[in-house]
Amino acid sequence: MPEAWRITRIGGRAGLPDAQASFLYMQRLSAILTLFLLILGFSLASPHFLSVNNTLTVLLQTSVIGLLGIGLTMVIITGGIDLSVGSVLALSGVMSALAVRSGIPVVPAMSVGVLTGAACGGFNGIVITKLRIPPFVATLGMMLIARGLALQITGAAPISGLGRAFGQLGNGALFRITETQPNGFPTVIFPGIPYPAILLLIVAIGAAYLLRRRQIGRHIYATGSNEEAARLSGVRTDRTKLYAYTMSGALAGLSGNVLMSRLVTAQPSEGVMYELDAIAAAVIGGASLSGGVGTISGTMIGAFIIGILRNGLNMSGVSAFIQQIVIGFVVIGAVWIDQMRNRN
Amino acid sequence: MNQSPLVEMIDIEKHFGGVRAVEKVSIDLYPGEVVGVLGHNGAGKSCLMKILAGAMQPNGGEIRVGGRTIEFQEPNDARAVGIETIYQTLALADHLDAPANLFLGRELKTRFGNLDEPRMLEAARKVLARLNPNFTNLRDPVSSLSGGQRQVIAIARAIYFDTKILIMDEPTAALGPSETKMVADLTLKLRDEGLGILLVSHDMHDVFDLCDRVVVMNKGRVVGSHAIDEVTKDDVLSLIIKGELPADWSARNLLERAE
Ligand SMILES: Nc1ncnc2c1ncn2[C@@H]1O[C@H](COP(=O)(O)OP(=O)(O)O)[C@@H](O)[C@H]1O
Ligand SMILES: [Mg+2]
Repeated sequence: MPEAWRITRIGGRAGLPDAQASFLYMQRLSAILTLFLLILGFSLASPHFLSVNNTLTVLLQTSVIGLLGIGLTMVIITGGIDLSVGSVLALSGVMSALAVRSGIPVVPAMSVGVLTGAACGGFNGIVITKLRIPPFVATLGMMLIARGLALQITGAAPISGLGRAFGQLGNGALFRITETQPNGFPTVIFPGIPYPAILLLIVAIGAAYLLRRRQIGRHIYATGSNEEAARLSGVRTDRTKLYAYTMSGALAGLSGNVLMSRLVTAQPSEGVMYELDAIAAAVIGGASLSGGVGTISGTMIGAFIIGILRNGLNMSGVSAFIQQIVIGFVVIGAVWIDQMRNRN
Repeated sequence: MNQSPLVEMIDIEKHFGGVRAVEKVSIDLYPGEVVGVLGHNGAGKSCLMKILAGAMQPNGGEIRVGGRTIEFQEPNDARAVGIETIYQTLALADHLDAPANLFLGRELKTRFGNLDEPRMLEAARKVLARLNPNFTNLRDPVSSLSGGQRQVIAIARAIYFDTKILIMDEPTAALGPSETKMVADLTLKLRDEGLGILLVSHDMHDVFDLCDRVVVMNKGRVVGSHAIDEVTKDDVLSLIIKGELPADWSARNLLERAE
């Protein structure tokens, strides 16, 4: 057993105590096992599950859940929650699209979306720290505000005609090799690595670095562990929380870009209930809703579990209603495990 | 004691709605002395300590450090002038380990601004070993440590940095006899090094062993401030319980002085 602890420590879990690391290690192991069982089960149930096309679809779905999940992990570690990310995603995507339509080039236009998300997150943070509104209520309010704004400024109609460049982020891939057939149609020889997956990887590494190696990360853990103790120790807990919520909003904005780019259309009604998938991903990955605990790598595994679960149920012809029921039970189960751990 | 005071608290007040937790309290603290702060639960001792630590903002009054009036907005302001605090609640982040708690809020960083874990671990190992040689489980979350070990971390954190004024709010409440002895020895050693120490304690024995002066609070007010050799334990108990000295105190004291 002590050997197992050692492994996790060498794995770069500096600053996180050994005993806690060992529990996370067990939980991590069971999460990975679940992931493999899901893949195995679904590939037996549906021959297309492991096809190249479907794998790409899973990667895309997972990258949206994963980006949201990373932001939520930071918020959850501070002991908070962010229910607004699904709506902020929609508002941000709409803002990016409007920027493109107004003639701004794609990259700065997409930054408009990310900034919109960050502004929503910052607003959440200010409401929570300055007005002392509980995170649950504050972000529930933002959930309505952002969704309402997205619907209002678009007149509830999708924005299309965004051009090829706008679709590049969601549909393009690195190292994709295509060949033009004699009949004029291109065929894909090697599908490449989708940009959203690369984006997710980069953001995940960046977030893990922030949480593990930077002072702000240490303060995020301390704030969630014992807010008053952190404050007495000189941690600016309000600023720390503001940072986490702003980050969560910005990442919701980024995932809004990915999703709308994928559709090459800005849908103001996209992303409903995505916050639940993202929360589930974080909690399955070991983040504790009572704060102080959570890892990016865990959330990534959680995001894949949710992404594969949704996709696999789809492929196996399970109805959308049954899917909701299954995911609902998964969320309750994950939180239940979290409760058991806290009682330990 | 003809030195100038390290810190002067003048007419400090703190109210919570109708509750007057601290009312016009003034206390001076000189280098190289231990001042005991005593009083019932709810007398306002912790509030006063938190105000001096920058963790609570007073409604009135003034704090002078080295003769200069300072307003503390947050704990870091007090730390910046050398005021360190061992809080009654210890103020540890349970999920973090000992080094992380020791350096919480003032983490050591590498050239690139990353957390310097090896340096913090090494420093923690040294300072904790000095306080408790059996302290080896440095990488455990502090929630899994014993009350004594947690207390040792809180103490280490208060003396590791450049401390001039040390506030100890019931530092031995969670400790066994040998650890209590360790804290007592440490207190005297730090006093001899020239620190000014405010010791909140319920233990009469400790107070009379360690303190040079006692200040007694009752319902938010200072009801007595005496050099330790001009009062007995019974006198102090009377101040704590009744808010006044026994009737025969001044007569006794005059007699003693005459001798
Ligand atoms: N944060 C707070 N909010 C409201 N009342 C408080 C707060 N902190 C302390 N008090 C009140 O102030 C009074 C003094 O408390 P405290 O300083 O903790 O006493 P002591 O440390 O002497 O036991 C008590 O009546 C307590 O209930
Ligand atoms: Mg107290």
